Amino acid sequence: MVKFLKPNKAVILLQGRYAGRKAVILRNFDDGTRDRPYGHCLVAGIKKYPSKVIKKDSAKKTAKKSRVKAFVKLVNYQHLMPTRYTLDVDLKEVATIDALQSKDKKVTALKETKKRFEERFKTGKNRWFFTKLRF
Amino acid sequence: MVAAKKTKKTHESINNRLALVMKSGKYTLGYKTVLKSLRNSKGKLIIIANNCPPLRKSEIEYYAMLAKVGVHHYNGNNVDLGTACGKYFRVCCLSIIDPGDSDIIKTMPSEQ
Repeated sequence: MVKFLKPNKAVILLQGRYAGRKAVILRNFDDGTRDRPYGHCLVAGIKKYPSKVIKKDSAKKTAKKSRVKAFVKLVNYQHLMPTRYTLDVDLKEVATIDALQSKDKKVTALKETKKRFEERFKTGKNRWFFTKLRF
Repeated sequence: MVAAKKTKKTHESINNRLALVMKSGKYTLGYKTVLKSLRNSKGKLIIIANNCPPLRKSEIEYYAMLAKVGVHHYNGNNVDLGTACGKYFRVCCLSIIDPGDSDIIKTMPSEQ
């Protein structure tokens, strides 16, 4: 009886090109909109996970291995698997719905999302979110 | 055996309570609507049949854990659960949205 599909919840996408990828909910549309008459949400997820960084790596190699590629998408609730994890990143003003309207707005939104994800990965927090789901 | 054996008496009482919910309350039957009711936090109690596939059972239990909703594992398979609901089809899982006159929500989770 507790709503759990809230912003900052970590979810796993189940369908589509990004199936199996982890994402974080940015905005919910529980009752849908006129274009999408079902419950859906805006998520920002990881397109390409950062690879494993080991102690032996040089600084240049660490930087190369810590790169994250992100995506932003509107997803139906049915195509998400919610998890018990949360990810506290402030992406509200970066990745908005009108960023999805045009290509160049999307590119800038993704660049900023990528930067925020990368700096969160480098702090070592939310390690579960940045590890690839094996299936 | 520390686990309590499900006596015939408690099993009958679940059936009675379920019949009362069917008559006076709101419910949904079936996996898709159970997940929907958990997502929009309308479900108050989930009942799962004992021959539910284990992956589906764990998925419903995980959703219920996130939503802090009780899950009752019915002592019978989907055919029995369908009959208990008064339906002529099989019911693998159901969600009680409004118990009506029944006290199923107050008594069932305490028995778990």
